[in-house]
Amino acid sequence: MKRNLFLKILFSYLVIVCLSFFVLHLLVRDQISKIMINGIEQELMHYAQLVDLSSPQTMHEHLQQISKISKSRVTLVDGRGIVFADSEKAIVGLENHLYRPEIQQARLRGSGKSVRYSSTLGVNMLYIAVIIKDGGKIRGYVRLSRPLHDVQSAVEKVYQSIILAMLIGALVSLVVALFFSYRLAAPIRTMEEFTQRLRDGLPVGSIRLSTSDETRTLADNINYLVEELKDKFRLANEEKSKLMTALTSINEGVVILNKEDRIEFLSPSLAGILSGQYVDFLGKTLLETFRNAELQKAFQTFKNTRRNVSREIALGMAESVIMSVSLSEVQGLPGEERIMIVFHNVTRLKKLERIRTDFVANVTHEIRTPLTAIIGYLETLQEGALDRPQDAKRFIDIILKQTQRLNRLVEDLMTISKIELGEVTLHFENVLLPDVIVSVLQLMEAKAGVKKISIENRIPYKIHPIKADRDRLCQVFVNVLDNAVKFTPEGGQVTLDAEEKAGGIVVTISDTGVGIPREEIQRLGERFYRVDKTRSRELGGTGLGLSIVKHLMLTHGGKMEIESQPGRGTKVSLFFPLYAE
Amino acid sequence: MEEKRHTSLHYEKELQAIKDGLIFLGALTETAIRSAMKSLSDRDTELARRVIRDDDEIDRLDTDLEERCIKILALRQPTAIDLRFITTAIKITGHLERIGDMAVNIAEKSILLNEEPQLKPYIDLPRMTDLVGGMIKDSLDSFVKSDLAQAEQVRRMEQVIDDLNEQIFRELLTFMMEDSRNIHRALLVMQVSKNMERIADHAKGIADMVTYMVTGTCVRHQTCEMLE
Repeated sequence: MKRNLFLKILFSYLVIVCLSFFVLHLLVRDQISKIMINGIEQELMHYAQLVDLSSPQTMHEHLQQISKISKSRVTLVDGRGIVFADSEKAIVGLENHLYRPEIQQARLRGSGKSVRYSSTLGVNMLYIAVIIKDGGKIRGYVRLSRPLHDVQSAVEKVYQSIILAMLIGALVSLVVALFFSYRLAAPIRTMEEFTQRLRDGLPVGSIRLSTSDETRTLADNINYLVEELKDKFRLANEEKSKLMTALTSINEGVVILNKEDRIEFLSPSLAGILSGQYVDFLGKTLLETFRNAELQKAFQTFKNTRRNVSREIALGMAESVIMSVSLSEVQGLPGEERIMIVFHNVTRLKKLERIRTDFVANVTHEIRTPLTAIIGYLETLQEGALDRPQDAKRFIDIILKQTQRLNRLVEDLMTISKIELGEVTLHFENVLLPDVIVSVLQLMEAKAGVKKISIENRIPYKIHPIKADRDRLCQVFVNVLDNAVKFTPEGGQVTLDAEEKAGGIVVTISDTGVGIPREEIQRLGERFYRVDKTRSRELGGTGLGLSIVKHLMLTHGGKMEIESQPGRGTKVSLFFPLYAE
Repeated sequence: MEEKRHTSLHYEKELQAIKDGLIFLGALTETAIRSAMKSLSDRDTELARRVIRDDDEIDRLDTDLEERCIKILALRQPTAIDLRFITTAIKITGHLERIGDMAVNIAEKSILLNEEPQLKPYIDLPRMTDLVGGMIKDSLDSFVKSDLAQAEQVRRMEQVIDDLNEQIFRELLTFMMEDSRNIHRALLVMQVSKNMERIADHAKGIADMVTYMVTGTCVRHQTCEMLE
């Protein structure tokens, strides 16, 4: 860069120097010789006038004399051109001089001159001739010739100094070029380094220049652009991080596919469902990652129609997760369209939907069963069974039992809806757990006795009192114990225990009953949910017991947890918080 | 397979399409098994009917994939790993198609079982479903990634499924001995369990083929102990 600039400047300077000397040469060369030749001519003319032809005897000495003074060869030529005297050569053998240019000029104008190259001497010769007249009659001509040695050497001298000056000029221009190129290149070099650092992504400040010419403006512009660029970068980064935070923190799963249909982004919430490292999915296809035929079909539909597609798709392995999946296009540059897939988890929604439809179906079913029995027996009575007192009594007993069951069902339903609606007013008081348990056990003893189930109460008497509504608390224990006794085979055992733990009291009711399969546990507490549909109804349950317990525990600020092993038994843990007085 | 690139981009695409098709087929069969087992545990006859209907798609995809493989064999005349890849793919589609048929078998049994009260709550069968579903997924994963270790893991898993099947068999036997009226239902459940066990066998078959594809050695008729 610098050398290049230097050479350019130097070259232009040299061109100027050379050009000026060339012009000088053109002007000077002819001028010098012309002036000098003119001077010599005048001098020789002057000497020519001195030639005296009056005395032919002393002619030779005279000529010698003049030749000596004028430093020239003097030749006398007569009117016909014949040489009759010469200062240097013998006249014999000399050719006719009449047609020499200087003689011809002299014949016409009185005097003449000519510069010719003399092959004998090897230099330019100046010839001048003057006519000699005698009363209008041409007597002859005087010709003086002198070699132009002086002129040539003078011109050479001048040229020598010219060349010397030229060399000095070139040298000066070299130095000047060096200086200027350095001065000019310095700010450019600074900017060059600056932009290089910028290109390499190294931290840069701004350019500071001490110059005040155009480079300064350029540097200012670069500084401005860099600042602008930094701002743009910062903004873009901020936007990106905002977007990434939004994408990663929302519950919805997001997948972005690049134009080759490979995964470019996958939100962590989805990665959790897919159980794998987030990085593993990058660059894979949708099919490779999700292994889901439905999703692939939805994707193909989208690819074919290019219209947004929404589907509900079951994902996941052990526990299926239902996702509402929608595919749409991310607008980008032509040929860089991406596909965004948003997964919205609707498992809970679906579950609630199912619970609601189940509930309606269950209520009608639960009500219809006793009603069918009641109507059937009433019809039988109407058709004549009334007349047979023994049958009639049995039928009426059954009708009463079924009506009681209906009543129980309606009461349970009312309780649960009241709790859910928050219409139940609880009268909180300090309740001693052992007191409540004793009264509950009195209720349960008869039922347990029939099945020969022993109920063991291990609750320590000195346990901390809890804040609760006594009646509701009784209901909770009755429901849980009723279940325990109901689902424990004859000769089994039910154990009650309590301990203080984590700021509350945990009451456990464990039995040695049939147990509950793992996947059913989380559905317990749903209204009318029964693990074993047929058997439970035979045992006279309404399917609302645990649901009521769950809700009552929630209104007490506690919770219910169930652990179970099929065939071994079930353990229900009830947690009551202890509030600081 | 993953890193290698063929000079012919088209050929490369054809191979990738076969791979994608196999994964898709695998996903379909896995869904079929899960749905069939769900129809049994949820007593959902409608779902079982859908599994039987959807099997047509699996069959169609199987023949389609096989045809494409044969076309590649004829037109491209693959050698070395590509040849093993194509032959493996043909065998895998066969396995997957059979798995689909077994899902249909299970769905048919499920329809019959749903007509009668449930014999017992299913505990081991759902476990089996998860394990077998995982095996199919893993075997195809090992195929896609040419992962020998994963193929080996699938082969080991097969023993676990065998044991589970044995356990279910013994349990059902007690039900049958208890009450002869249980025999029909118990036999149906037993067939479901047997079908699951055979699906696991097919998954192992896929894993064997993957080992063949990667190493070129046949491990089909060896047991795990012999391999060690």
